[in-house]
Amino acid sequence: MFLSKIWFILIALAAGLAVTVALVAPRPAVQKLSALEGQRLDRAQYAAEQMLKVDAHKWIDRVSKLGRDAIISESLDSATRGAGEINVIHKTVQDRFNALIPDLANSGIAALVAVDNKGRVIARVGDNDKEYGDYVTGAEMVADALRGYLSDDVWGMNGRLMRMAAAPVLSKGRDRIVGALYIGAETGDNFVERLKKNLDVDVALFLRGKAIATTAYPSALTPLPDLIAQHAQEIERVKRTPAIPFTAGNDELLAVAAPFAGQAGQQQAFYVLFGKRPANADLAALLKNTSSDDLKWGHFPWIPLAGGVFLAVVIGLLLIRNEGENPLRRMRADLKQLARGEIFKIQDLQYGGRFGGLARDINAAIEHYTHAPSAPSAMAGKDLNAILGDSAGGKAFDLPSPGSAFASPPPPSFPPPPPPSGFPPPPPAGFMPPPLAFSPPPPPPMFAPPPPFSASSIPTLDADVGPAGPEATRVVASTDDGDEDTHFKNIFDDFVATKRECGESLAGLTLDKFKDKLRGNKDALMSKHQCRTVRFAVYVKDGRAALKATPIRD
Amino acid sequence: MTTTVRPLPLLSSVAAAALFLILPSAPAHAGTVKGVVHLGDEAASTRLYQGYWRLENGNVPVQSSGGAKAETVVVLEISKDTHAPAARTVTVEIGGLDARPRLLMLGPGSVLELKNTGKVTHEFSTPDNPTFMPVERLMPGGLRRQKFTAPGGYLIRCAEYPHIAISAIVVNSQYFGTLDEKGNFTIPDVPDGKATLKVWTRGRWAHEEEIDTSKKEALSIKVSAPKGKETKDKDSAE
Repeated sequence: MFLSKIWFILIALAAGLAVTVALVAPRPAVQKLSALEGQRLDRAQYAAEQMLKVDAHKWIDRVSKLGRDAIISESLDSATRGAGEINVIHKTVQDRFNALIPDLANSGIAALVAVDNKGRVIARVGDNDKEYGDYVTGAEMVADALRGYLSDDVWGMNGRLMRMAAAPVLSKGRDRIVGALYIGAETGDNFVERLKKNLDVDVALFLRGKAIATTAYPSALTPLPDLIAQHAQEIERVKRTPAIPFTAGNDELLAVAAPFAGQAGQQQAFYVLFGKRPANADLAALLKNTSSDDLKWGHFPWIPLAGGVFLAVVIGLLLIRNEGENPLRRMRADLKQLARGEIFKIQDLQYGGRFGGLARDINAAIEHYTHAPSAPSAMAGKDLNAILGDSAGGKAFDLPSPGSAFASPPPPSFPPPPPPSGFPPPPPAGFMPPPLAFSPPPPPPMFAPPPPFSASSIPTLDADVGPAGPEATRVVASTDDGDEDTHFKNIFDDFVATKRECGESLAGLTLDKFKDKLRGNKDALMSKHQCRTVRFAVYVKDGRAALKATPIRD
Repeated sequence: MTTTVRPLPLLSSVAAAALFLILPSAPAHAGTVKGVVHLGDEAASTRLYQGYWRLENGNVPVQSSGGAKAETVVVLEISKDTHAPAARTVTVEIGGLDARPRLLMLGPGSVLELKNTGKVTHEFSTPDNPTFMPVERLMPGGLRRQKFTAPGGYLIRCAEYPHIAISAIVVNSQYFGTLDEKGNFTIPDVPDGKATLKVWTRGRWAHEEEIDTSKKEALSIKVSAPKGKETKDKDSAE
């Protein structure tokens, strides 16, 4: 079984290795895919940044172009100089705005504001278009415009994100700054949809820790602000976060966040680009993501796999057959031969491993039960069950135990036989002792040749069956030395009497059949062992009648 | 830094003793600490937060004034011969999307009043220490008071309009000075000895160093603004 065990260990190792490879091998791929997704998001973030930059320039150009309008310029000049009614100027500028941009909403403009050179609001369209006269000089972008700069900014006000652009308005002679215009483009749902369309990633906008617009997972982005806050150093250094893994609902996502420029950056205003993360590489995820297509012939190596499994099974079965079944079969055959008396012992050298040990154990048991320490005769104590069979005279033919009444007495040099109360146990169930009519095997070293038998060696009943306990065997030996028929008749009578005493049935038991059987076995034993005669004896064992045969050589 | 030694006049010893008794609190040796603070290029901008673009109009020269220098103060921390400024109440008007003044030097126990004179609502707080001054809405026409007891620098910022930021520096000595247009500062009557010089600009302590006020050297302090590294060097020229 050694090779079988090794084989199964190898199979188990191979299976474990295969499972390990199956679980580990996808991980580099998943990591690579995650890295690629992160790179894709990085590129998308770079593109988004460029878009924001281009957009900012576009808004600056637009507001600058509006500032070059003559009516607006003259109106703001008047307001700056204090010439004219502010209400009239307000109306004039507002009407001009409406004329220049008739459809404010479709233009993406949330607010358009004109201020004089003191920062006083002259007119608004869009948000709060009824209000004017207030000052917005403190706004850095407006102050910059009044200094002569064209610039942009991003404001977060009242939960809204606005991309702003401002430009100075010059006098008609273009030698003075008479005011400024600034424009605000709301940055919300339309903006994120446009980004998604151009970048092919989902986009979300955050302001002061809240998502104000998103293209996906509107209710599952709550953890993102905290995750982004953990990357404050990266944001400070490279103006964006690394790819951040997070979970939204049932989806595993990767996100890259970048702050908006301008003062909104101080208000935790971020645009976040996110996409699905590659599936996990654990077993559940692998099985979950396996489709029927993956198991088709063209995609899955069914033939090599089936061939490998078949080969492994065949090799395993062959090894089991070679190391398990074949020795078992041979041992069974040997045991049958042993039971038939064709062999004296099992050739244990023919068996390896545990079967060899088993064979040696069997041989030892045979030796133990058939060879008393007093070097009993090979014939002594042989069970007549093997000789007569159950049908010959009923049943209950049993092996005599070494030291029993029919065993040869031990030589003087041997220790005395066990006390009568200590009869050796019967042979194990199912074990058939070798009959007397077996061919003599080559004498193994452990088997000493049996000493010659002597009729006088037959112990008397009284000598061997003493005060037996409940398990003791009562032996009814025949000491009749008369002719065969008389001996057989006496044995038969004893046998019948013993069976009656034991309360056994006598059905089918006739003297003729009994004699025929004894006679046949006597002949066989005599020819086999070249003995003069065979004497039979009746005894009781385990409450049942039994027979023993003892060859007599002299 | 220049230390001016005031020699005792050669009067009679009686007159000298009388003068000493008349001015008991004046330090025996005091001088002026002065120098220049070099802020980074970004500090020259009038804007705290930059957008993507800032372009000149091409027709009219741009006007640049203010910048970080207007929001910078140099403070000396001295352990002896100091007197904290008196506690007072200062009102900062919030209007036109601006705060005036933006830099306050206060003594411990002073009260700051934020008065919203504009038309928009503000939300002021001290972001670096939210428990000290939590976010609170300041409606148009509203007033919010805040008392400062512990010395230190406090940045009060509007969450809706982050460019509106007020620096309140609570000091326990009278030795501090603001910058002029060129970044120069002067702190007079500084007693001789060891002192800690700290520079506050645009809402943070940007520089700190130990100085010896008895040395007659002008300090030249380089501060890369506003969130970079700072360096300093000594200028022997007075």
